[in-house]
Amino acid sequence: MLPAVVGMFPFGIVCGVAAISAGASPLAALAMSLIMFSGAAQIIAAQLLAAGAPFAVIALSCFVVSLRFLMYSAALAPYLRPLDHRWRNLLAFLLTDQAFAASIHRFRASGDLRASASYFLGGGAVLWIMWQLATLAGILLGSVIPPAWQLEFVVPLCFLSLLAPLLRDQPTLIVMIAAAVGVVALDAMPMRLSMICAGLLGILAGIVADRVGVRRD
Amino acid sequence: MTKSQIVWLVIVVVGVINYAARLSFIAFFARREMPPLLAEALKHVPAAMLTSIVVPAVVFAAPGHIDFGLANPKFIAAVVAGVVAWHWRNTLLTIGVGMAVLWLVQYLVG
Repeated sequence: MLPAVVGMFPFGIVCGVAAISAGASPLAALAMSLIMFSGAAQIIAAQLLAAGAPFAVIALSCFVVSLRFLMYSAALAPYLRPLDHRWRNLLAFLLTDQAFAASIHRFRASGDLRASASYFLGGGAVLWIMWQLATLAGILLGSVIPPAWQLEFVVPLCFLSLLAPLLRDQPTLIVMIAAAVGVVALDAMPMRLSMICAGLLGILAGIVADRVGVRRD
Repeated sequence: MTKSQIVWLVIVVVGVINYAARLSFIAFFARREMPPLLAEALKHVPAAMLTSIVVPAVVFAAPGHIDFGLANPKFIAAVVAGVVAWHWRNTLLTIGVGMAVLWLVQYLVG
C-alpha cells in the first residue's frame, strides 16, 4: 500500500488548495477530509462550490461519484462477514479506492482473514492520517505552490492509476469508450452534470456489452 | 444560505452518503442476496465513473476545445501515464511519469 500512500499525498494537497480557493474556511477544508474522506467527492464538491452550484447539485454529484463504494463494499462483504460488527463499521469508514485496490487481491488469495483484515485496517488508517496531513499542507501552503507546476494534474493521474488497470476485458473497454464519448459530447451541460450522465451511460453500455457477449459465446 | 452554511451542509450530508455507501453491503445488506441486475451494474461503476472524471480533465486544451496534439500536453502525459498505470499498477509511478511528461512537453513546446 506504500505507493498508494505516497501517491495520495499530492492529491490531498490539491484537495486542501481546492477547498480554500472555493471559499471554504480552513476548518471546513479540513473537515471535508476528516468526514468526507474521498478525494473524488472533495474535488467535485470544491469545483461545484467555486462555480456557485446549488446544494442539491453538489449532493447529487457526490452521491453518483460515491456509487463505486457500493461496488467495493459488495466485493469485500463476504470476507468481512465473520468479523465483529464494530470492526466492520471501522473498516467500512476506511474504505477508499486505494485501500480497496491494494487489499482485495490479498483477501481473495489469502485464507487468513485476520491477517488480510489487519492489512486493510493498518493501510487504511495510514491512508486516513496521511490524507489529513496532506490536506493540512494544502491549506497552509496552497498559496506558495507556483501555478506553473500544475499540481492539480495529479488528480486525473491518481484516478488514471486506478482506471487503466481495470482494462482487462472487452465489456470494460466498451464502458470506458461510452463514458468517454458521453462526457465529451455532453460537455456543454451545466454544473458538470455531464459527468453523472456519462457515468450512467457507461454503466448501461457495460450491461448491454455483457448481454451481447454472453449470447455470442 | 450563505456560502459557509452550504459548505458545512455539503460536508455533513456527503459525509453521511459516503459512509452509508461504504457500509452498504458490509453492514446493511450483509444478509441479503444482491439482485443480479444490480450486481451487473455495480461491476461497471468504477470504470464508468473514473472515465467520466478523468477524460474531461485531459482532453480539453481550453474550455470546450478538444485537442489531442502538442498544444495539449495534458493529453500526451495522460496517454503515457495510462500505459504505465496499465502495465505496472502503481499510483506513485503513474503520477511521477505523468507529471514528468507534462513538464517535459510544456518545456519543449513552451
